[in-house]
Amino acid sequence: MQISINGEERQLNSEELSILNLLEAEKVEAPEMVSVQVNGRVVNRTDYEKHVLRNGDEVDFLYFMGGGR
Amino acid sequence: MSSFSTTAIHGTVSGHDQHGALRQPVYDSVAFEHPDARSMEMTFAGKKAAHAYSRISNPTVSELEDRVSSLCHGAFVIAVSSGMASISNTILALGGAGSNIVTSPRLFGNSLSLFSKTLHPWGLETRCVDMTNPEEVERAVDSGTRMVFFESMTNPGLEVADARLLAGICQAKRVPLVCDNTVMTPYLFEAGKAGINIELVSSTKYISGGATSVGGLIIDHRNFDWSHAPALADTADQYGEAALLHRLRHEVFRNLGACLAPHNAWLQTLGLETLDLRIEKSSANALAVARFLASEKQIGSVNYPGLADNPYHPIAKEQFKNRFGGILTFDLGDEKRCFRFIDSLKLIRRATNINDNKSLIIHPASTIFNEYNEDELTQMGVGAGMVRLATGIEEPNDIINDLKRGIKSL
Repeated sequence: MQISINGEERQLNSEELSILNLLEAEKVEAPEMVSVQVNGRVVNRTDYEKHVLRNGDEVDFLYFMGGGR
Repeated sequence: MSSFSTTAIHGTVSGHDQHGALRQPVYDSVAFEHPDARSMEMTFAGKKAAHAYSRISNPTVSELEDRVSSLCHGAFVIAVSSGMASISNTILALGGAGSNIVTSPRLFGNSLSLFSKTLHPWGLETRCVDMTNPEEVERAVDSGTRMVFFESMTNPGLEVADARLLAGICQAKRVPLVCDNTVMTPYLFEAGKAGINIELVSSTKYISGGATSVGGLIIDHRNFDWSHAPALADTADQYGEAALLHRLRHEVFRNLGACLAPHNAWLQTLGLETLDLRIEKSSANALAVARFLASEKQIGSVNYPGLADNPYHPIAKEQFKNRFGGILTFDLGDEKRCFRFIDSLKLIRRATNINDNKSLIIHPASTIFNEYNEDELTQMGVGAGMVRLATGIEEPNDIINDLKRGIKSL
């Protein structure tokens, strides 16, 4: 599956990946504190586990806290 | 999940100082450099974990925000320059001309002044109701209401509303419930779990670790559907649970400029690490002092929710983990007696603050509330005979012995 993460094209081995899986695969620290946008819309964190990504999705990790993490 | 103190000390986000310093340095820098133009673009779009300009974000301030977020189960956090800045940013992000805010007449004087005086000419209506009366709150909320605002414990009235009842009303009416949790702090009152949507804290108080610095926190518990907030209707579709955070970071907070100084953020992160220890001590001191004062015949009445006969004792006990905070008031009849009492003290300091390490005393009517007339003071529950004592973390007998000097002066 091919998706983009913060503007960078990425090839992923898995064919079915939830947002939570992606956060774990990307080794994002404290994933509960991250905002994730898929195709221009923020997904509520309560849906991270059930929201399955599709081929061609544009995923953005948003850093409202200004980063530093 | 780690305990409060462990999370307060270590956080859940690891900091990696290049020298291995266990305490992160203070990044006293206004601007931050970017490796290339693309990186700069991504940073400004919020798609890269980097800083650009300290009015908007700063590494030392982010460390405090991350630590508080960890304590609040991943809530969105913005640290601001004061507790009042946390309130003004929030109301300016959600309110507007022709809208109203439902709140209590017993609020901290400066908060009520912000709503009913400063923001009144801009078209905000302030509806004051009894927050301990859910039916009254429900009747006051209508389609123009942008938030219900209350204090977890009012200051100096020390009233305690049932947060879960208020949350139920707000949920049904689709209006955000905003709680100023300064007096109880996130340690004693887990606002998000009680259904509060936005928690505001003056971190100047307990969190600063002994009144070292002025600061505030906006804590969004990510539990409100912002498509129901007219001010955020345009952005809620795109930003979902982060709509308020987006509006604050990318507009209101950025434009108002009430940012927390990095040095103050560093002090407050340090203070956060000992928050629970200090609250436990000052709460125990307040209870000991309240019991002592209640036993003294020359003291008119003692108001402290930790006393079993206080009307708010049952709800406070349930909501605040059987702790009641470090503020109490007592009545001495009139201003003259209050002044005589206050002036006779040698240990307790005459100052306007709460939750310092030092015990502080003040006559609210002639100081914090001096902009209000007698009728307004009556409505606000601030009598001429009221003295407010904010207990510090000294030994309780030393505080009591000083109060005995005051009693002797009457």
